[in-house]
Amino acid sequence: MKSVSELTDFYYENLFPTLEELDKERKQLRYRIILVGFGFTFIFFLIFMAIPSSWWQSGDAIYFFGFAYIALGGIIYKMLTKDYVKEFKEKIISPLINAIDDNLNYSSEMHIPQTLYERSEIYTASVDRINGNDYVHGHIDGTKIKFSDLHTEKRHRNSKGKDNWSTIFQGLFIVAEFNKNFQAKTIVLPDTAQSSFGDLIGSWLQSKNMARPELIKMDDNKFEKEFVVYGTDQVEARYILSHSLMEKLLQFKNKTQHPVAISFVRNHIHLAIEYNKDLFEPSIFRSLLEYKIAMEYVQTLHLAIGIVQELKLNEKLWSKS
Amino acid sequence: MSISMIILLVLGIVLILMYNSLVSKKNQVENIFASVDTQLKKRYDLIPNLVASVSKYMEHEKSLLTEVTKLRAEANRPNISDEHKIALDAKVSSALGSIMVAVENYPDLKANENVMHLQRSLNEVEEQIAAARRAYNQAVTDYNNALEMIPTNFMASAMNYQRKEVFEITEGERENVNVKELFN
Repeated sequence: MKSVSELTDFYYENLFPTLEELDKERKQLRYRIILVGFGFTFIFFLIFMAIPSSWWQSGDAIYFFGFAYIALGGIIYKMLTKDYVKEFKEKIISPLINAIDDNLNYSSEMHIPQTLYERSEIYTASVDRINGNDYVHGHIDGTKIKFSDLHTEKRHRNSKGKDNWSTIFQGLFIVAEFNKNFQAKTIVLPDTAQSSFGDLIGSWLQSKNMARPELIKMDDNKFEKEFVVYGTDQVEARYILSHSLMEKLLQFKNKTQHPVAISFVRNHIHLAIEYNKDLFEPSIFRSLLEYKIAMEYVQTLHLAIGIVQELKLNEKLWSKS
Repeated sequence: MSISMIILLVLGIVLILMYNSLVSKKNQVENIFASVDTQLKKRYDLIPNLVASVSKYMEHEKSLLTEVTKLRAEANRPNISDEHKIALDAKVSSALGSIMVAVENYPDLKANENVMHLQRSLNEVEEQIAAARRAYNQAVTDYNNALEMIPTNFMASAMNYQRKEVFEITEGERENVNVKELFN
């Protein structure tokens, strides 16, 4: 598997002509968006002025107007950027993924199926709406892996009967085959209680969590500070979370610099990295050739695909081989 | 209800909670030791196959092989105490470790499919035993803590609960582990 620097070289060298072309398109698109944006806002402003002031008595009308502005604006924006995004994904992201490993397939419109997300039991809230894109699946070093951008939401009906959506999870969701056989479920979540309330009260609170199976206290202090482990079997949880895996998971978490939740269910490992934004989307207002932007794509891809090596999932020393 | 009755009631509930928590910790230790035992048995069951597969080739390690067979026979005796099981586990770990290191010196053995399969099974069992030991140590630590910390220590001495021992890796075993790492 290529390293990050090799990928960056690939991005700038092999993809350079395509990037230049796309960047020209991007500039035109940006110009178009600004024009349309002004025109759209101007039209709404005129409508705003034309409406008699009596309509604004009820707060509902203002709410509706603002909502219409944002919703229509969003639809127009999506229409304008659709082709550019599609081209970017086909011509830049897809070759990048192939460059990392040609056993991987990329489907820009698909996402991790809801069944896999729910099977991981990382997030217990029931999903009312699920969206995602940039689905990658295949083998790395003989280990099956799939990941995608994923956004799951929950619907709240407020007192006026309007729908309010809140995010359960938004970020990168990775599922890979694990190299040990196990029957039980083990769930590793970011540790908020111990960092807010200190060790004694924090662990007491964690053990009282009714939504989760038994609390499992791990014997690695640094790991315990960052994560809380729940599981259905005390011994199997430690069989899976060996000292070396705990160290590697900690390193991985520090590398992503985002909250990471992990679960081990049905012989697979699931990782949910909360980015709270849509990844692999082409920048519109900044140049595609800009180093920081390029690194974001390269690093995120490398991170996701790299977990096979990072967590040594390709090490087949046990009877599952 | 008078104040004194309420105080007595609360006291009673607290005592019951303490008693129950001690009992549950003691049972957790026994429960997990049962898992340790199961894994240890799995490992003992692999030994006859291992000895049979390697004894033809490993001329110089005959003493190791007889020792490991002897240890297995000892472990299979009925009614041995938990402490004895823990002591045997340490000896078997170190003996098996030495055998697997010695296997590295025999290219015929390393190529043998049966031996390779045994090596993977042994690796898996050793890891499961390590996991079971860790779980046991955590359960024992929780139990010992409850025995010594206030306020449960009063209740524990009334119930005549004794401290339990954790699995410890002896110095000898620690050395053997290092040798293994040298070869890997």
